Amino acid sequence: MPIESQQRDDALLRRSAKGDESAFAEIYHRHQATVYRFALRMTGNSWAAEEIVQDVFITLVREPKKYDVNRGTLGAFLYGVARNRIMKHLERAPRHLSLDEKGDAAQDNYPQLHEQMTPARWTELRERREQVRAAVLELPTEFRETVVLCELDEMSYEEAARTLECPVGTIRSRLHRGRALLLAKLEMLRDVPKRANAGR
Amino acid sequence: MTCEEFAAVGLDLDPSGADEALQQAARDHLRECPQCAALQANWLALRVDLRALGTETAEANAPARVEMRLRQEFRTIHKTVKRQRMAFVAGWSLAAAAVLLCAFAWINWRHQRGPVVAHKQSTAVQSAASQRNFGPTVPITTPAGAELGDVLVASSSSGDFTLLPGSLPPAPEDATVVRVQMQRAALGALGLTVNEEHAGDWIQVDLLIGDDGLPQAVRLPPASTQTSN
Repeated sequence: MPIESQQRDDALLRRSAKGDESAFAEIYHRHQATVYRFALRMTGNSWAAEEIVQDVFITLVREPKKYDVNRGTLGAFLYGVARNRIMKHLERAPRHLSLDEKGDAAQDNYPQLHEQMTPARWTELRERREQVRAAVLELPTEFRETVVLCELDEMSYEEAARTLECPVGTIRSRLHRGRALLLAKLEMLRDVPKRANAGR
Repeated sequence: MTCEEFAAVGLDLDPSGADEALQQAARDHLRECPQCAALQANWLALRVDLRALGTETAEANAPARVEMRLRQEFRTIHKTVKRQRMAFVAGWSLAAAAVLLCAFAWINWRHQRGPVVAHKQSTAVQSAASQRNFGPTVPITTPAGAELGDVLVASSSSGDFTLLPGSLPPAPEDATVVRVQMQRAALGALGLTVNEEHAGDWIQVDLLIGDDGLPQAVRLPPASTQTSN
């Protein structure tokens, strides 16, 4: 995040802490989308994502002093709070989502039926997308958040490491494990030929 | 490069992620190893799906109702905080004002009480003396600090009556002045301090006797000064 943007966040937060509602609204508009998307991709549930966004910003309103300027950017702080809330949500949530909940996050985001696309192709794409979504949601949390940040959010390893407050090497290894698990879940390893020479 | 090494660094083959030599080694390994090449192809296909999944939600925003609820919460919290601050400031201001008021009242009371008491006493005795013709005036002074328990000294330097310790100024109509001759040491019995060197001297003393027959005040007439001191 550029320094100007961080300074702007800090100034807005100071004004917000003094009761300036417009400053708070600006902070919300600057960061709500990233927090919401992260929550949505991690939980696969728009209601949960909505609740998490609300919790994150209420924390900012009630305890603005929790954010320490010297420890990082406001964005990273909000990501951190969101992560905690997501973990709590995932601990509470049932292991298997109901059909309604499964459909909730996906129903607005199905691939659009283009003129060039046959219904069969469209159905195939939709099924494939659903499989990938389900596979991501079934990943263990630490691998899931790395995959979400690096693959879905397209963050660099360094950005992801800063966000998750861990070394870049950890991100690399989690991503490697996450990818392997995803490939296994999607049965994409089935057509890979047996290793001819393990020593190569 | 082995398959394990390739799996560790080469799956995404991102030029920005590793040095060029390593990337080249990974590409060479891909050409030689069909298993890793298939894995790589599958990963790239999956990556396309993942990116598509990311794109689907790339424009997702929290619904407007979340902002509305947050703004409402913000107002409630800051109103409450403002009220609490105002109540705190008002409470302390009131307390400070009350303390100041009490302090002023006490200081005023202290200042007014001393002169009024002295004035009342002297006025009362003066009027009593003038009514009974005991002389031109029979002024009584309360030595400064008498109320605070200081020691009274039989002094002949002033011609006024000095109230004896523990006695009240007598009512004017009941007061009687009696002149007696006594040894200076006898003044000690009246609660006055006596100079031991002159304790045996005979002096003339005017006593102001109250209606109970007890001396209330004492005066050393100037005439006795020579004999008393």
